[in-house]
Amino acid sequence: MTKPIVQVKDFKLTIGSKKIVDNLSFDIHPGEVFAFLGANGSGKTSTIRSLLGIYQPTSGILHINGRKYSPDDARSVGYLPEERGLYTRSKVLDVMIYFGELKGLSAQEARDFSLAYLERVGLADKAATKVKKLSGGQQQKVQLGVAIIGDPDLLILDEPTKGLDPVNRKLLLDIVDELQSKGAAVIYITHLMEEVERLADRILILKDGKARAYGTVAAVKKEFKSKSIEDIFVSIYNEKSSEVAHGKA
Amino acid sequence: MAKLKTVIKHEYLTIVKQPSFWIVMIAIPVLIAAIFGLSYFGNKSSEERINELAKDLKNISIIDKSGLISPDIVQASGLTLSPSDQVDELREDVRMGEKEGLIVYPDNLAEKRKFDIFLSSDDLTKMNTVGSLGSSILNTSVFLPLGSADIIALAQNGAESTVTTYRDGQETAGFNEYIVPGLFVIVFYIVFVFSVGYMLTSVSEEKENRSMEMVLTYVEPRNLIIGKLLAVILVTLTQVLFFAVLAGVAYLIALSLGNSLSLPFGIDLQKIVFDPETVFFSIGFLVVGFLMFAGFMTATAAIAPSTKEANSFSSVFFLGAFVPFYMIFMILTDPENPITKFITFFPLTSPVVNLLRNTVGNIGTLEAALSLAVMTLFMVLSIWIAVRAFSRGALEFSSSLKLSALFKK
Repeated sequence: MTKPIVQVKDFKLTIGSKKIVDNLSFDIHPGEVFAFLGANGSGKTSTIRSLLGIYQPTSGILHINGRKYSPDDARSVGYLPEERGLYTRSKVLDVMIYFGELKGLSAQEARDFSLAYLERVGLADKAATKVKKLSGGQQQKVQLGVAIIGDPDLLILDEPTKGLDPVNRKLLLDIVDELQSKGAAVIYITHLMEEVERLADRILILKDGKARAYGTVAAVKKEFKSKSIEDIFVSIYNEKSSEVAHGKA
Repeated sequence: MAKLKTVIKHEYLTIVKQPSFWIVMIAIPVLIAAIFGLSYFGNKSSEERINELAKDLKNISIIDKSGLISPDIVQASGLTLSPSDQVDELREDVRMGEKEGLIVYPDNLAEKRKFDIFLSSDDLTKMNTVGSLGSSILNTSVFLPLGSADIIALAQNGAESTVTTYRDGQETAGFNEYIVPGLFVIVFYIVFVFSVGYMLTSVSEEKENRSMEMVLTYVEPRNLIIGKLLAVILVTLTQVLFFAVLAGVAYLIALSLGNSLSLPFGIDLQKIVFDPETVFFSIGFLVVGFLMFAGFMTATAAIAPSTKEANSFSSVFFLGAFVPFYMIFMILTDPENPITKFITFFPLTSPVVNLLRNTVGNIGTLEAALSLAVMTLFMVLSIWIAVRAFSRGALEFSSSLKLSALFKK
């Protein structure tokens, strides 16, 4: 078994008097697509923010590549948050280079990567265009480019296909496949279960800050005696707050 | 360090690459020049119009019932005195447009100090010109018994005073001492109005366009804030340099004009004073005051969920910077007043009050040093609050950060 890229153990997060995440443990390995699922407000974004050091955990261990994440390790991580956007008054290429440099790339490396990426996603002619002049879908492609710049070891995608047309959705999923094949681990947050079925190696379903299902897609299906992740998701959210957590870490 | 440099470069270029930045910078001197130009040409044009009207004043009659008006002065104006009993007749001529105007000095002029003017039209310039003519004839007539034309002119216009001031037995430069520290007051307002606002915009825009979470993944909040702050300082230096070059050019032009240039308040460009202590405190109040306001603005932007709300909250700080101007007379003339003392140390008013007091030299070294120390303390506090608010409120997109959250561990 390879050494995990992400290791979360006994993680608890309380903000004010509200318990956001309760005793969560999971790990993610290189080359794996990990679907991190749950309804709105279940604690997914808070977990990711804690993993990235934006929130301070109440207790527990959250490691990336064997240690607590700090922005000094930025090159190893790409994050496309749910609340995302770009500097609308800046030019596309300038924005990508800025994020590339923040992740530790040289200006030249960031420029080369950005131009190649823009070429690939059909936005080469928009490099000198201000972000605000792009359509929503085009901006989303630039946001993905910002996340994957520098070929990170860990890519965290929070609802990456939201608002994309089928052509661009396929393009994005192909890019994720490609990164995975290069050995990157992907944390994939989505409400679209067909994407989970297509991409995920393992899943974790979070409800009220607790893991309710965790394991390979096949193992979870077997455990819940169901043929679809969507049915499992619905059944978990329909059950009366039973405290039983399924799956094994 | 590399990331800090990246943030500074990005923030600086984002601001100075905006056309609006340069438009505003260039617009200020252009606007000032335009105002002066319009005022100069406007006055010139008015003068020409008055001169033209003066030529038409021949058709104006004058009646003197007071006995104070000299017929010689009236005659010198190209006019003649009409008999006192023709008031009604001449007034009717004016009403019918047969005469341009009529000036009547009543018999109780000395007592009431009022005389009447009747005009055939309500042209504002004509009203002004005939009014001036009436006053001028009266003044000159009254002063005529004084004798020579020089003495009459002296009595009418007064004389300019040349002020020589001494401090500790040494002659001082008077008003010229105020020029350099006074410039710091102007620079503070330019910096305050333009640059401090950039901190507010920079943070609140990142929240509003939702790039904040992506940025915070790759940069420590402290580095981001310090980077933004340093970038705004660079922007400010760019602005100051721009205006300094313009001022330098204006100064050289003024010097080359030499004696033909008449400056107000007896300002003599060659006698401008650079007192090291005054300049030191001016720089201190300017820099520390700027950083303190920048810190408060950043905290405001971090706490507020949107640019609109951040702008509303920030009005408190703008009020603090502009309120001293409503008390300027007290600040400049009554340094011992308890209110002056209070606003000298109160953080939101202290930069402007200290800069003003330092300009006119009514703040002692000890008080200035103490005030600068207090201001520095608040500057550190404001930056601490900014970093703290930013760390905790940067990802609050829908509601304001509670103030209590700032001080929780």
